Amino acid sequence: MDFFSFLSLPRKLNLDMADFEQRYRALSRQFHPDYFYNAAPAERRASLEKSSYLNDAYRTLRNPISRVDYLLKLEGMAPQGPEQASKQVPAGLLEEVFALNEELDEVREQRSSGAPADVWKGRLERARQPIEAKRAEHEAQLRELSARWDATGDRKVLEALRDRILERNYITNLLAGIERELNS
Amino acid sequence: MSKVVGIDLGTTNSLVAYVNDGVPIVIRDQNGDALVPSVVSVSQDNTIHVGREAQRRLLTDAARTAYSVKRFMGKGREDVRHEAEHFPFRVAGDSGEVVRIGLGDREFTPPEISAFILRELKHRAEAHFAELGEVDNEVDRAVITVPAYFNDAQRTATRDAGRIAGLEVLRIINEPTAASLAYGLDKKHSGVIAVYDLGGGTFDISILRVEDGVFQVLSTNGDTHLGGDDIDVLLMDRVMSGQADRTPEAVQELRQAVIQSKLDLSERDETTMNGQRIMRAEFEALIAPIVERTLGPCRQALADAGLEPSQIDEVVLVGGSTRIPLVRRQVEELFGRRPHSELNPDEVVALGAAVQADILVTGNREMLLLDVTPLSLGIETMGGVVSKIILRNSTIPATGSEMFTTAVDNQTAVDIHVLQGERELVADNRSLYRFKLRGIPPMPAGLPRVQVQFQIDASGILSVTARELRTEIEQTIEVKPSYGLTDEEVERMLLESFEHAEADFATRQLIEARNEAESVIQATEKSLRSPEFASIETTEISADERKKIESVLAGLKMVLKSTDRETIQKWTHALNDATQHLAEVMMNRSVSAALAGKNVDDI
Repeated sequence: MDFFSFLSLPRKLNLDMADFEQRYRALSRQFHPDYFYNAAPAERRASLEKSSYLNDAYRTLRNPISRVDYLLKLEGMAPQGPEQASKQVPAGLLEEVFALNEELDEVREQRSSGAPADVWKGRLERARQPIEAKRAEHEAQLRELSARWDATGDRKVLEALRDRILERNYITNLLAGIERELNS
Repeated sequence: MSKVVGIDLGTTNSLVAYVNDGVPIVIRDQNGDALVPSVVSVSQDNTIHVGREAQRRLLTDAARTAYSVKRFMGKGREDVRHEAEHFPFRVAGDSGEVVRIGLGDREFTPPEISAFILRELKHRAEAHFAELGEVDNEVDRAVITVPAYFNDAQRTATRDAGRIAGLEVLRIINEPTAASLAYGLDKKHSGVIAVYDLGGGTFDISILRVEDGVFQVLSTNGDTHLGGDDIDVLLMDRVMSGQADRTPEAVQELRQAVIQSKLDLSERDETTMNGQRIMRAEFEALIAPIVERTLGPCRQALADAGLEPSQIDEVVLVGGSTRIPLVRRQVEELFGRRPHSELNPDEVVALGAAVQADILVTGNREMLLLDVTPLSLGIETMGGVVSKIILRNSTIPATGSEMFTTAVDNQTAVDIHVLQGERELVADNRSLYRFKLRGIPPMPAGLPRVQVQFQIDASGILSVTARELRTEIEQTIEVKPSYGLTDEEVERMLLESFEHAEADFATRQLIEARNEAESVIQATEKSLRSPEFASIETTEISADERKKIESVLAGLKMVLKSTDRETIQKWTHALNDATQHLAEVMMNRSVSAALAGKNVDDI
């Protein structure tokens, strides 16, 4: 049993969201503990477990990124541990990361020597732009790869998806770092 | 058949409602009054007064009278240190322990005080049903509402209060969601609703999607320490400087006058407060920071739901403080539409609770409430950092699990610290439970794999189980709430409450055990007879399994008439365990039926 089969869905990445929500509501009506209040304890327990599993499936598959993550895990293609995802700079991002780190260092220096906020904040905003552009590029690639997986079921596509996801996670962390810097 | 009710246990007022022929009705007293002030007073001769009478006693015996106790639910002594000075009653309790409220020479926990209020509502409902000529007018089951942003400790304290009052708490539901149920009754439409709930002591915002009768909460946010009480404190600060008489009774009289002025200013542009003229504009300038504090949570809830204010179809106002014109204007400005307030904002939550109670006992599937957990649940990891296991706004019921191992050879126990909140550091979050996982088989360090499973039920309350995966040994977990009552304490308080001291407790327990056994027997026999069972019997249920179920079933029937409660319970548990797999198989078979748009009963 996995989340896709639980909702009687094929292992595909493009979901008809209206249909997906409808399936979720139908199964919620089937399993929700509200309807098992008078039932025997074994049924109550089963209802609790099934509802919890359904809610987990809903949360995981509703979001396109966690949907890809989950599919990779199901297909035995999950990234090897979180360390790989966060520490190692993906090859496709080396240039941007290098430039950003230099920029961040200089901004910190400016701040410690008392530069006004709008000066260094403006700099950070500018530094963010190429990363944002990279993210948009990634989203487009993820969509394209997802469509290709749905059409072909080719495992090579999964490898490409895995690399994109790793880079995307890295980009997300970078952007969060800039955000923290801006708000500090 | 005994009755079920829905109860809004408020900071300032409480009330009770029930469903009659599909229509929720608030229960009123002879004067047509639905609200019971959430005030409890103990007189010199130890008589307990609740409601209006207790409120009157604030003016004559303030030190023996407790109000706004909801603010203390699920709290430790340290949590309320700053707040305690505003109250005439004694706030006591040992450091690190659940807070206690001293009235005269007696001390009560907040759930005990709340239980007095709940019992008053129970009696009010029973009197109402007796008047209607109902044969069995006992009220023994209830759905009780809490602020959506209440944490696990506050929810558990509320459930404990119900149990102490002699009520089986069918479900704890969130106030804004309850309100949406009451509003949704006559409107079978779909859309996105924002419920803005500013009560006496708490603020909630919930964003829901309504579709096919399913009320699905997308996000919730709030502040459990923000409400009309805070406005009263501001006004009090303003008038206290000119107040010579500082006895508790005089202060309470002043407080009631200040509250009256606040109410007046929702109707008029000016009024007098303690002899001085006060204009609405001045009042609004004074409370603006409080209203402003509600807007941040609203924006966060919108962001968590992934929605813009313009995507909200309807806004619903709940709670007495939403009568303040400034509050209405601010809400209208934020969401860009005029909010609904057709239903009485004081009564709508109790009506919704009654609707939910009715769904639970009738199994009516027309409406379904899918709520979320307001706060992320996590555990402490190395360096005092929280690792999140169930994220906020996850639909409940929800589960999460975490793997633990040992740090030294032959270690047999691991300490686990469970927290709730959004911050990264342990110190900034709410400590819920600390417990020791015991009974891990002695092995080299790092070898045991202990899976700890966290389950949040449909009331938003947590339970924990653990299992060592290498040896399949179920762990014993001693869960000690950081700020709460143990089951034993709740049981003792229930016994101490005068209503049950007289009842024959043992007899009641025996009857309950027999009822439970009978319902399990019936359910099992129904399953074995069903056409569904015939179709799975050969494929998924082994002959041994069937034989086992039948023999335990026969055993339970034999002991059913005995007077030994423990034996009955032991056999009931055995039958539950024996039928667990069967129940799961049957449940799985209903999946495809549900997706085909059919109810399993129709097949």
